[in-house]
Amino acid sequence: MKLKYSLITRRQFLNTLFGGSILAFFSGAIYSVLKFAFPTLGKEPEFVVLDKNEFGNLPPNSAKSFAWGGVLGLFLKREDGTMAAFRGVCTHMECNVAYRPEDKKFYCACHQGWFNDQGVNIEGPPPKPLENFEILETGEKIIIARKGAKVDLAKV
Amino acid sequence: MIWPKFRNWFEERYDTNELKKLAKSKLVPRHRYDILYYTGGITLFLFVLQFITGMILAFYYVPHVDYAYEGIIDIVTKINMGWFFRSFHHWGAQLCIVFVFIHLFGTLLVKSYRKPREFVWITGFILLVISIFFGLSGYLMLWDERAFAAVRVATGGAGNLPVIGSFIKIFLRGGTDVTGDTLIRFYAFHVSILPVLSLMLIGLHVLLVQYHGMSVPVSVENKQKTGEPFFPNVFYKDIMIWLVVLGVVATLAVMLPPEIGQKADALAPPPEGIKPEWYFLFMMETLELFPGTIYGFNGETIAIICVTIGILFFSLIPFLDRKSSKGQKSHLFTIIAVIYLIYFITMTIRGFLS
Repeated sequence: MKLKYSLITRRQFLNTLFGGSILAFFSGAIYSVLKFAFPTLGKEPEFVVLDKNEFGNLPPNSAKSFAWGGVLGLFLKREDGTMAAFRGVCTHMECNVAYRPEDKKFYCACHQGWFNDQGVNIEGPPPKPLENFEILETGEKIIIARKGAKVDLAKV
Repeated sequence: MIWPKFRNWFEERYDTNELKKLAKSKLVPRHRYDILYYTGGITLFLFVLQFITGMILAFYYVPHVDYAYEGIIDIVTKINMGWFFRSFHHWGAQLCIVFVFIHLFGTLLVKSYRKPREFVWITGFILLVISIFFGLSGYLMLWDERAFAAVRVATGGAGNLPVIGSFIKIFLRGGTDVTGDTLIRFYAFHVSILPVLSLMLIGLHVLLVQYHGMSVPVSVENKQKTGEPFFPNVFYKDIMIWLVVLGVVATLAVMLPPEIGQKADALAPPPEGIKPEWYFLFMMETLELFPGTIYGFNGETIAIICVTIGILFFSLIPFLDRKSSKGQKSHLFTIIAVIYLIYFITMTIRGFLS
């Protein structure tokens, strides 16, 4: 069938087909290379499981570190006995923070940033509070979970 | 539009007219054997693919005896698309060697090496040696039983050369035996020394081909049609063929992922029926032809000397073939080329079947 009118010429059609397939080919190739180069390995976990004997009996006003995937997590027992868990990485330039029992604050040595025992940034350059995790206790285990994460107890 | 502006900016500084003239005037001869001209381009393209996939595999590979084998298993099982790139690199390498050989025997049979192109042949021959060494060193990266045995045999074979043999062996192994040091050394060869050497030689090889122009076989010199413009005709044909090659490599990579054997163990015997990569099979079969001792001499040494002489003769063919360098037909060297080709093919098949 021959069309009387056409919006595009044969040349335009072929060029678009040719260019389009080249574009599709290269986007596929580059996408797979990028996927390879940016791994999902080392992603932060949804939750980690800690031993209650080790972390439940901390003395008040002290903190103990645990591994949150590949980064530092801090398990804190405040003076009043309440517990909290934070991602122990400063929100300013990603240095590890440390708990100072004498000040009852977290301190980042890189740029003198301070967080109180709720994890809130109170002094120095940090722009945001420390990430606060949820704590669930089941039997002999303590589960530290990202806020809002679904914890599959079967996997624990 | 930014593109014409940029072009003006560039052309004010660099005279691109010469290049344009060259691209326009470059003609590729047309005759019975002109399909052989594509084999070099395919080899070049496969090299480029190997460079790209090799670079990104190096993101994850750890050249250490304790982690190499496990690292590759991690790449193919845990990393996104890792299985694909590893498989692609493997099949790209296989096809690379295949096309190096096709290109080699093609140019040998139509005698493109003849005067004045001797250096093109020599650079190509060195690139062949580099390609095979690429294959051997790349294979050791896997650090499985077959790789371990293959490298032991290959470096040991080189050690049988008189006088310089043991130097070569110890240099390649980084010690008296194949150990973790050999792995690191072969990694260095594979990712830094050989790539740099091959880039330089490929550059020289291609430059020399441009300088001399395409060689036309003596037998068809008077039967040529008018040449085909390189740009865009032959260039587009090249790209079409490359696309097919890319498709073949990708298909092989997806359909036939290369196996990973047991981890190498220096104290364990090699598995029954172990065989090297196919391009070493002819060498293996040749060595098996020789008895252990010949008139009191070590048979292995004599075998290695014979093979070395055969290879040396092969590399010097452009200088030995006086007739074709005068532009005459040279039947003797056609026969020699066919003998080499038949020997290579039959020994490789024999190696497969044995």
